[in-house]
Amino acid sequence: MKTHIQRTLWQLILPAALLLIFSFASRDFLSSGNLYALMQAFALLGLATLGISLTMIAGEFDLSVGAVSAVAGLVLVKTGESHPVCGIALALLAGLAIGFANGALTRALRVSSLVTTLGSMILLNGLAVWLEGGQVLAYNNFDEADLLDQAIAGILSVRSLIAFGGFTLVALMLSFTRIGRDIRAIGSYRRAAEMAGANVSVALYIAFMLSGMLAALTGALTSVSLSTASSRFGADLVLQAATAAIVGGVTLTGGVGSPAGIACGVMTLTILNNGLSLLGIPSATILLLNGALLFVVLISGGRRLLPRWIATTPGRNTRT
Amino acid sequence: MRIALSSSTERSGSNRSKTHMWLRNQFVPARVQATSIQILCVVVLIVAGISVPHFASMTNLAAIIYSTAAIGTAAIGLAAVTLCGELFLLSTGATAAFAAIVFVSSLGAGPIPASMAAVAVGLISGCLQGVAIGPLRCNPIIASIAAASVITGIASLLTGGRTIIGGGDASWLGLGVLFPGLPHQGVLLVVATLALELVVQRSRFGRELRLVGINRVAARVAGLRTRTTVLMGCTLAGGAAAAAGVLIASQSGTANLLIGSDLNFGAIAAVLVGGIGIAGGRGRISDAAFGALFLAIIGNLLLVKNLPYEAQLAVKGAAVLLSVTIGAFLGGKRR
Repeated sequence: MKTHIQRTLWQLILPAALLLIFSFASRDFLSSGNLYALMQAFALLGLATLGISLTMIAGEFDLSVGAVSAVAGLVLVKTGESHPVCGIALALLAGLAIGFANGALTRALRVSSLVTTLGSMILLNGLAVWLEGGQVLAYNNFDEADLLDQAIAGILSVRSLIAFGGFTLVALMLSFTRIGRDIRAIGSYRRAAEMAGANVSVALYIAFMLSGMLAALTGALTSVSLSTASSRFGADLVLQAATAAIVGGVTLTGGVGSPAGIACGVMTLTILNNGLSLLGIPSATILLLNGALLFVVLISGGRRLLPRWIATTPGRNTRT
Repeated sequence: MRIALSSSTERSGSNRSKTHMWLRNQFVPARVQATSIQILCVVVLIVAGISVPHFASMTNLAAIIYSTAAIGTAAIGLAAVTLCGELFLLSTGATAAFAAIVFVSSLGAGPIPASMAAVAVGLISGCLQGVAIGPLRCNPIIASIAAASVITGIASLLTGGRTIIGGGDASWLGLGVLFPGLPHQGVLLVVATLALELVVQRSRFGRELRLVGINRVAARVAGLRTRTTVLMGCTLAGGAAAAAGVLIASQSGTANLLIGSDLNFGAIAAVLVGGIGIAGGRGRISDAAFGALFLAIIGNLLLVKNLPYEAQLAVKGAAVLLSVTIGAFLGGKRR
């Protein structure tokens, strides 16, 4: 039975190995500029993956993170021209509200969250196109972008520090608060958790609201850095976040996952994508590899597969 | 759970009683949404035809049929996946785009061999996903997201992101009309829906599909081939998505990666609005076709009234959520 620290150390092997491979494959990989870009990408994907992982740990799935990030970016650009803090706050509030709506729909309709978040994803796509109004929106507040993206100690920035803070806060919440324990419980075995006294509704709402808020934060940070917002941002976010989460040890069935593991998963995917693009591989191929990776991880992650093969030999114990 | 497999009427010998029973059967909780959509189709068509100018013209009706044909073809395949309880495949659009590219690339050999090649590609794609979803028990939505990314990547590598122009003539398929107002594509959709409906309602495979959707564990314990059934359902969905891509590409004779971008949500919306339950086992294939028709009519109305594209998206999203809500109230299934 591995301890938590041992498990995290094992999970660090994959990103470390990739780091090693790419530092040999490309001369520029370990340059401070590239490491800075790596941390920036890690911050964005990490926040979104953290959000989607919370819903996965709770036994649900939030398909709308990409759409939420697009809408949040658009809200920021439309309202934060003169008051950037106000804009970010409104974007985060929008994410919280959408998360609340997702949680309410899932809870009230007693339907798989895959369907309710699919519906909200379609609606939010429409909302994003409407907010965009057919133009390319520009955000001219470059001071804010400088503040967020300025390199600290060469490879970090305010954005990466925000991501680290997010990971730490979620880790503390999951380990030390009652809500965090309830989130894990309802993901493991909902009926038993309900009967044992876990507050299912509150835990679900918190999971979805945090997922929405973190997705909104991702969208807001993207829009500030790129000085623009578009309804097409975040189109690949669900794929990459799900891949990072599953690689990071979060199971689709729920109840399993830790922020340390998630960070490792995000690091793995970020290093992979960064290294591949440094080697000159086109972004369409990188997306293809992300999809293939997700497929492979999905298939191999099925615990049901292995026991069935083992169970065909007589004398072994079966496990459904 | 009431499975409306055949109308079990009492043999009372009087015609009026049989019709009465048939009418009553259409409005049981399991069928009420599907029947309402069918009635609404007729009602909206008539009301719009009378009150909205230019709606009832032959070109406009043909436009409705063209949009129904593409989404309806994908939807009747997707309905097979939903019926066996595996929610949806989000790779419908990607498969359609890939199949369209294959169709247009091989158009030189003639429209029939080209469409067969394209549908074969779709069947393979559906089969691969079916292997992951059926026997390997992966989450269908995530598996299909991954598959969509792989398929789009392969298609992008093949085309280099450009539009492929076909070397042959597919105008019979794309633009041919039986008479003004009824394109060949509409006839093909009707034929395909009838064929698939017959398979699902009357064949052993169809029966197994529905039972696997109603209660997978019970089906397995009862000795049904659950994994093979789900595999075949996914393969069917892949083939149908490919057929939809062929229909779209044949209209212009060209194909690129953008084909079928609205097919994903359109097919899912059609399946849900038509009255097929998400939990699986409830609904018929023809429901998906009627759902596609209804959404095509509504979309056309929005277009005729000059409402922007995002209004259509909002309507589709709202339709999905509304159908899920109604389905939850009618089904009463608690989690």
